[in-house]
Amino acid sequence: MITLSRRITALNRGLFAFAKWLIYAIVLLMLWEVLSRYVLSSPTSWAPELATLIFGPFFLLGGPYLLHLGGHVAVDVASAKATGRLAVGLKLVGLVLAAVFGAILLWFSVPLVMQSFSYGETSYSAWNPIIWPAKAFLPLSAVLLMLQALAEAIDVLFEPEAV
Amino acid sequence: QSVTKWRMQALWGGGTTPMLYEEKFCARVAELTGGSLEITPFAGGQIVPSAQAFDAVRGGAFELMKTFDGYTAGKIPAHGFSSTVPFGFPEPDQYEAWFYERGGLEMARESYAPAGLTYVAPTVYGQEPIHSRVPVRKIADLKGLKGRFVGLASAVMADFGVSVSPLPTSEVYSALDKGLIDIADRGDIKANFEEGLHEVAKYLILPGVHQPTTATSYVANTRAFDALDAQQKAALAVAAREISGTLRQNILVANGEYIKKFQDAGVEIIDFDPEDVAQARAKAVEAWKKAATDDISKRMMESQIALMQELRLL
Amino acid sequence: MESSFVLLFMFTSLIVFMLSGAGLAFVLGAIAFISTILLWGPSALIVAVLNTFETMTSESLMAIPLYVLMASILQKSAIIDALYDAMETWSARLNGGLAVGTIIICTILAAMTGVVGAAVAAMGILALPSMLSRGYHPPLALGAICAGGTLGILIPPSVVTIVYAITAQISIGQMFAAGIVPGLILAGSYIAYILIRTWINPALAPKPEQVDDLPLGVKLAKLKSLILPAFVVLGVLGSIYTGIATPTEAAAVGVLGAAMSAMVTRRLSFTMLSGAATETLRVTAMILWITIGARAFISVFVATGGADSILGFVESFEASRWIILGVMVLVLIFLGLFLDEIGIILLCVPVFLPIITTLDFDPLWFGVLFMITAQMAYITPPFGYTLFYLKGVLPDGIGIGQVYRGVIPFFLIQVGVLILFAVFPDLVTWLPEALSQVGK
Ligand code: NA
Ligand code: NA
Repeated sequence: MITLSRRITALNRGLFAFAKWLIYAIVLLMLWEVLSRYVLSSPTSWAPELATLIFGPFFLLGGPYLLHLGGHVAVDVASAKATGRLAVGLKLVGLVLAAVFGAILLWFSVPLVMQSFSYGETSYSAWNPIIWPAKAFLPLSAVLLMLQALAEAIDVLFEPEAV
Repeated sequence: QSVTKWRMQALWGGGTTPMLYEEKFCARVAELTGGSLEITPFAGGQIVPSAQAFDAVRGGAFELMKTFDGYTAGKIPAHGFSSTVPFGFPEPDQYEAWFYERGGLEMARESYAPAGLTYVAPTVYGQEPIHSRVPVRKIADLKGLKGRFVGLASAVMADFGVSVSPLPTSEVYSALDKGLIDIADRGDIKANFEEGLHEVAKYLILPGVHQPTTATSYVANTRAFDALDAQQKAALAVAAREISGTLRQNILVANGEYIKKFQDAGVEIIDFDPEDVAQARAKAVEAWKKAATDDISKRMMESQIALMQELRLL
Repeated sequence: MESSFVLLFMFTSLIVFMLSGAGLAFVLGAIAFISTILLWGPSALIVAVLNTFETMTSESLMAIPLYVLMASILQKSAIIDALYDAMETWSARLNGGLAVGTIIICTILAAMTGVVGAAVAAMGILALPSMLSRGYHPPLALGAICAGGTLGILIPPSVVTIVYAITAQISIGQMFAAGIVPGLILAGSYIAYILIRTWINPALAPKPEQVDDLPLGVKLAKLKSLILPAFVVLGVLGSIYTGIATPTEAAAVGVLGAAMSAMVTRRLSFTMLSGAATETLRVTAMILWITIGARAFISVFVATGGADSILGFVESFEASRWIILGVMVLVLIFLGLFLDEIGIILLCVPVFLPIITTLDFDPLWFGVLFMITAQMAYITPPFGYTLFYLKGVLPDGIGIGQVYRGVIPFFLIQVGVLILFAVFPDLVTWLPEALSQVGK
């Protein structure tokens, strides 16, 4: 069990470490747009749109590992005082909520992504790219979030002293 | 008698004129059905973003939406022709005639049916203007300008030599103000005056060739629609056709009133020569053909071209 | 009756679950889901996903990671430390000099972006360590950052202002102009408060020792530290106001400027860029996952009639115009305890504005009052975004309780300024009117 939890955490850590570099891609795309519009006087049709398409995957992939880091915002004024079983129980409540959140996002986003794929949906802009790959990061991140919630639950239940 | 309660996601902002007409639409449906169909309208973005309403109605979160087919033209190419066509019909009556007299309505229904949605009826109204920081007196003057357009219009304007930036609507004011772009489309004449575009663009160009006429549409979830009785269905159709006429006339009058306000604010109104526009229309047809990529969209485009030829627009 | 039950249910469960210490994003999302299933039907859950798709491609939200990245690079290249060092040297005789400087920097940031999350997170990274390491009283430091960070709502450019102007059908330019003077008055009030408070109790903001001994030459040399930050600020503001870039693109220009400054201080390295990216993703993921939950929450709240019951209450109120105005402001502050400001605008402005015009109040002026209540919403517990943004960057040993204590005086200042503008509307309408006269 502990191995499973470590593997999940390692996977999400890896994805976090990959996703964080996307911000520099966004920076370069925006600078390129500024340059081509202002200096070359011919704005690209694709750079700003590509930047917005990267933005979703960027922050979504950060979410699951953030759960491990305890970086999601929480109001801990009351729960910080809890100890023993109560503390474990409260932690589990939070993880169940995260898993439910992920499950519902997954359940409802998969059909939409499939639909986008089968329609060959494009953004209908001057650049007009297909957009299902960007949308697909929502169900992917939802699965990863559920897995991370599971991993954290394993840690809480089987290695309480490490928490 | 039982009351059917529906929710409708509209695309307009809360408190705007077209949103008031959606409230009138709902009131009219209630009146025509003797109160048996109650529709609660929600302003654009209040519950889901306007561009996402298609899937929300499909999924059953709403029974009805007032949408702009252009939002889904990336999924369903026909929607490029049932929403607005750059250099298309110059008069809203002509466009509405295509829907009701030349099979446009049936083809629009056909385009929505596979998604489990029922196209009820369009609301058709006239041009949206182009705002410019520089004088543009003929189509050829567009060449070399930096502009903001969306949808098929961005491809057509690019064909006429405009470098198109896909800026969000909320950036139009400041982008014109700071000279990021030379020309832009945004909303209708009244809405653009209220947005303050007269402060940042000293030229207003008519007709708005990028969007000479527009159709927004009432689209229902098919399961919910089929559960209505004949009177309720008829009430939707009647109320929709009424709103199409009343909103169009309201915009017609508002356009006159607000063009005057633009002039009073020191904005020069430039009218393109109709001959110039007609010649450009022939060139725009090339972009239409590229956008018509499946059977329904091709049939829509061809029937529109046929009607335009009869009306001597092409 | 049903809709007031919805309201009660949603907010009671929000508070209960929040106190369990669960992630706020998940609490908001889960309550939205439960309420949707109970009150609207399971098929409506799709709404949460559709809102998320929209969030994923939002051009204006993209400014958040860009400004955080800029701040993080500046911080890691020791530029801000030098800036604070200089500020300390030059404001040594000034009580609470660093906190005052923080408000000033916040005001400059506010003119660069209207994204509160970006400003607060950036100042949490930049200013907080500097103030704490110099022994500042944590609540004072935290309160100054929270309050200063929200100035971006009022001082143009501001996304919230744009949304209000569009919803209220007022010119964005006029609305921007209307925000400038009130924004500066608010910033000035914060500074005045800090000066008075630290003058009464100097222990809250210890002054550095030996500063007086520094020769003028050393003092002047320290001014060099102003050059790089000024270069970055000018790059951002300049590219916005000369029309080179949109506000979001300008943030990317700021990142470039920060990276170039880091090169000058010889701190630019792969490790540094990697660390900055890590920090950026942590803060961005935190803010945007909450946004996903909050959008879902607002959708259900509106769709099931919770919003109508609050608004119906105001409409049914028969009293003098000032009392109705007061009630409306209280409703805004109350909603601000729980909702984000864009949600509140979409919810309230379409209903409140007809009331405002019927009562013969100026929508422009009401807009400014609205922005101030939005700022209050940002700093008031339990649901104050700035508190959460800041919490993401709090050092060990400082709890959210200290943040709560720190914002109270600043909240009271906001109340005072709000009343000031309510009583003297000219303070708000003077500049936009003067500007429109110049236009004619
Ligand atoms: Na601002
Ligand atoms: Na609050």
